[in-house]
Parts: sequence; C-alpha cells; structure tokens
Amino acid sequence: MNTMIIDGLSFALPLFIMAIGGIYCEKSGVTMLAVEGLQGFGAFVGAFAAVLVSGAFSGNSPAPFYIAMCFAALGGGVFALLHALLCLRFRANQVISGVVVNIMAMALTAYLTKLLNRVLFGAASDKFMLTVSARLTVPGLSKIPVLGAVFTNLYPFELVIVAVALVAWFVLYRTRFGMHLRACGDNPHAVDAAGRQVNHIRLAAIVICGALSGLGGICFAYSISANFSASIYVGYGYLAIAALIFGNWRILPTLGACLIFGLARSGGYRLVQILQMPSSFQDLVMILPYVLTLLLLLFFSKQNGAPKALGEIYDKGAR
Amino acid sequence: MKNQKKNRIWNAVKIPLFAILCSLVAAGVVIAVTGSNPFRAYYALLQGSGLAPKSSYANYKSMLTDFLSYVNFFTPMIFAALAVAVALRAGLFNIGVSGQMLAAGFTATVLVGYSGLGAAVAKPLVLLIGMAVGGLAGALVGFLKYRFNINEVVSTIMLNYIFQYVASFLINTYYVDPVSRQSVEISAAARLTLMDLPIGNLKVEIPLGIIAALAAVVLVWILFDRTKLGYELKAVGFSRSAARYAGIRVGRCMVLSMTISGMLAGLAGVTYYLGYVGTIQPKVLLSTGFDAIAVSLLGNNNPFGIIFSTMLISLISKGSTYMRSAAGVDAEIASVITGVILLFSACSVYIRWKLERRKQEAGQTAKEGK
Repeated sequence: MNTMIIDGLSFALPLFIMAIGGIYCEKSGVTMLAVEGLQGFGAFVGAFAAVLVSGAFSGNSPAPFYIAMCFAALGGGVFALLHALLCLRFRANQVISGVVVNIMAMALTAYLTKLLNRVLFGAASDKFMLTVSARLTVPGLSKIPVLGAVFTNLYPFELVIVAVALVAWFVLYRTRFGMHLRACGDNPHAVDAAGRQVNHIRLAAIVICGALSGLGGICFAYSISANFSASIYVGYGYLAIAALIFGNWRILPTLGACLIFGLARSGGYRLVQILQMPSSFQDLVMILPYVLTLLLLLFFSKQNGAPKALGEIYDKGAR
Repeated sequence: MKNQKKNRIWNAVKIPLFAILCSLVAAGVVIAVTGSNPFRAYYALLQGSGLAPKSSYANYKSMLTDFLSYVNFFTPMIFAALAVAVALRAGLFNIGVSGQMLAAGFTATVLVGYSGLGAAVAKPLVLLIGMAVGGLAGALVGFLKYRFNINEVVSTIMLNYIFQYVASFLINTYYVDPVSRQSVEISAAARLTLMDLPIGNLKVEIPLGIIAALAAVVLVWILFDRTKLGYELKAVGFSRSAARYAGIRVGRCMVLSMTISGMLAGLAGVTYYLGYVGTIQPKVLLSTGFDAIAVSLLGNNNPFGIIFSTMLISLISKGSTYMRSAAGVDAEIASVITGVILLFSACSVYIRWKLERRKQEAGQTAKEGK
C-alpha cells in the first residue's frame, strides 16, 4: 500500500505539472498537443546541463539536479516558441503544429544527444546518464498511518512541483494576467476590445506551457529512467493532455485525474509483484493508465467545457 | 485550357518543392558544420536506395536489388500516407496509424503467418485480415468521436499504446523467437514480399504489395474526385456545421472516413510486418505512422502527390544507413530532415495565402496606375 502511494505520487506529480502547462495554453485558446515534445526537449536540455556541470560538484550533491530543473524549464519554454511561431505567426493548423513540434523534438534530441556525446565527451552513446534523485522523508508527518506514505521517500522535485503548481493556480485564477489569459480562450475579441494584445498573451501562455512541460520531463528523467534517451517519449505528454480534458480544463480536478493515473499505474505494478506473475505481465499492466483514460473520457467528454475559442486562429478583422 | 491545368499543377507543386529545398539546404548546413560533405551525404542517400550506383556490391547484389528493396520499404508508407490523407480530408487527424498497423500486422501474423496455408489462399487472406482489423480499429475511433465527443488525437494515441503493450505481451508470452527476441518469422507462403528470388546472378525481393498500393492510390482518387461519398467527406472536412446544414450526415461521414483510413493503415501494417520484415519486434511502435503525416502534408493530401512525397521521404530514411557508413553522417539526421520538411509544409497554407494576397495587391496597384 505504501509503495503504491509513494510510486503513484512520483508519477502523478510530474504529469500534473505538464497538465497545468497544457491548461495554460489551451485556456488561452491555443490547442496544445505538443506537451510530449516539449517535455522531451526540456528534459534533453536539462539533462545536458546536468551532465556538463556534474563534474564541478561532489557525487551526491543535489545541485546538478536543481540546475537541470532550471534549464529544463528554459529549454521547454524556448522550444515552445516553435509552436508559437507556427500557430500565431504562420497561422498553421494548431493540431498539425503540435504534431510537428513533437516530431521535431524527437528527431532533434535523438540527433543532438548522439552528436554532443561524440563531440564533447568522445563517447558513442545515445543517452545522457543521470543519477536517480535522492529521496527525503518528512519526520513526524510520515508516521501518520496510510497518509504518512505521502510524506515518505519523497523526491525533492515533488515539493518543487507542489510549490510551482500553487503559484500557477494563483496566477491563473487570482491575477489580472490570468483573467486575460482565460478570456483569450473564450472571447478573444473582448480582450482585444479591452486593449490587450491577444497574440502576446497567447505567446506567454505557450511559453509557460513549454517551461512547465520541460519541468515535468526532467522529473521523469530523474525518477523513472535515470538517464535521458529516446525512451523519454512514452506518451506521458499525451497522458497529461487526457488528464486535463478529463479534469475539464481546471487545475484541481486535473490533479485528481493525474492521481488516478499514477495510482492505477503503481497499483498495477504492485499487483504483478504480489501475485508473483512473470515480468512479461508488466506490459499488460502498462496499458492500465491508457485504458483508464479512454474509459473516463467516455463518460466525461460529452459535457466537457473546452474553452470556446480553442483552436481558432485569432483574426482581428473577423466578427 | 491546357495552360490553366499546367498552372494549377505548378501552383500545387511549388510550395512542397520550396519546403523540400529549404530543408535540404538547412540540413546541408548542419552536415557541413559537423564536418562532413553534404553533397557526398545526399549522394549516399541516393546510392543507399538504389537510385545511383555504389562503388562496389556484395554477392548477388546490384543497383536493381537495392532499388527493389527501396520499393519494398516504401510500399507500406504509401498506404500509411493515404490513411492520414483520407482522414485529414474529412477534417480528422489520424495519428494512430502506427497502432492500427501493429494491430493489423499482429493479427494477420498470428492467424495466417503461422497457419501453413498455401500461398494462393494465404496472401489474399493476409490483405483481407489487415483491412478488416485496421478498419475496425479506425471505426472505433470514429465512433468514439461521433458518439462520445472524444478527441480523435487523444483516443488514437491511447490506442497506440494499448496495441503496443498488448501485442508485446502476447508476443513475449506465446510467439517469441528465443534467439532474435522478436516474434517467430512467418511462413514464406504468407509473406507479401517474395524474398531472395534468384534472377540471373542476383537474389531479388519482389514486393507484391506495391501493386495493391498503386491500386489504392487510384481508388482513393476516385473516391474523392468522382463519388458522392467523397464529396460529402470533403464537405465535412471544410465545415462540419455547413455540411450538417446541407443535410449531410456528419457522424456517419466521420465514422466512415476513419474506417477507410483504418483499412488503409491496416494494409500498411500487413505490407510492413508481413512483407518488408516478416517478424514483429515487441515493445516497438513504428515511426511510419508519424512520418506518414509529413508525407501526406507534403503531397498536399493528394493521392498522386503522395506517391512522390513517399518516394522522397522514404529515400531519406532508407538511404540514411548507407549514408552513415559511406559519408560518416549520423543516421538520425534523416528524421531531422523529415521534421524540417514537415515544419515548412505546416506553414504552406500561410505561404499560399501570402502569395495570393501579394498577387492581388499587385493587380490592384497595376489597375490604379492606369
């Protein structure tokens, strides 16, 4: 039970921060399918930064990890500019643009990882090795039965994510900028009439989405795979999108969706262990979050409240 | 009249050509910066695909065998790109082509590939099963979209992973070859490519699927340019509400277009898994279905355009292995080139719009000048 909660949380929270990024972008009226690519590119930049600086710190210093987080957010944000360029400047179909960004991210990171490894480190490797992040347990709180597991064996990034998520919630629902952003998704003409540049706000939303996705990506790289390689692209970005649709484009229900995914996944793994099934059954367990997504969408897609202007290119002259 | 037609074709072709040129130049610069000769690299791409002679060949090999292997390689891509195009024309985005390919290929492998049926029965049966399974998978997505309003992008991707893990589980449990760690190779009778056929002093592979692929190109063209259904699908693609207003049953059209798209994806799957390779690697989803989006966009979603764009994109990925050995360029650059082409194609609507507006403005000023 405890391992299930611990592993479930460490999977759900990175997913959650990516989903928040998606909410920002989609709430501003721009369809965002590029989370997968953005998290991968962010993780790539972060991992590269970590590998570069790791020599300067002692073996178990947490500093490279925090540097990696900053650079992952930066990398995701910068790469998101590509989506912004295509959607806002070149008026491309936003769905196609999202897929383009994903394909570009996969191709570029695979190529660059190999190239940088060869040129800088002289190694023929297609991954950046990272360490598994250290874990911490909150004294006292972890002694509470059942719920204590939430405070046991935490990855430090989980705390960072919770902090960032709180800020993101506050900005989206309690600030002027957040209100403009949400208005861009429902009635961009009203925002324009109020004297704001719709495309500037959308640009900001896309970049925020990229940064948050990159953050989620590096957390996956540090917890699940302990390296950066093409295996970072296993569809968690799309899972985040499913979570936000299921959470009806609102932050708190989305957290619930992410927790369900995380617990379904870790619960499945536990089940394989407890029943002592052969390891090939893990493949079967891996489909749980995806099947669950589909099933939940069956019930929740019908009455969903997508932003009204989602996917529409803003045209000042149109009525 | 003739001139007009020529003009139309030129208009359709010039933007994809521009996209290709830009990305080749961009990739060429990258190759040059990393210390290789871009022209040498691009020539190696042609050599690897049997379109230019290599300096030496192994036994039983020649430019012809390389070329046939290239045809064998791009046959599934034609189907896959058609699958994307059919859905896209109706305003739907099928990024589940890879998953549908795997579902169809796996089912056909299990049902026919290991059955020991004769070639005359097995080969058509493989095609039929591929179409049926792919069509069902596509229809499911269309139905979910129409009945439950589930975004097809999300549902196809979820299905991609579900197919991938289920197939991987079944292969690892029942059909695994302990040496290669892949599924057991299918019987030669069920295989859609005749392998190692001795002709003269060569051993060639004859991809039978290419005939079906070319037939599919013509059929899709007929569907969209000559039938009422095709017209309705396009109407739905342009504007769902306008189509509904005109009395077109939009839901039926969406399900149908996804079904046809899935059938084509299924054919792509059997020509790949039971033609080009003959086995299935567990836990791996092909990139074909995603590259097919680039191919389809580059070919303007036009069936005949797709033949050319397929040949180009496949040339880049097929030739990349030889490029690595001959020119010392990382094979991964191939997908970067594909990505950049896709990037430029995504902007094609904007570029076309801009060009047209410039033409209009030029016409206006000319008139005012008079």
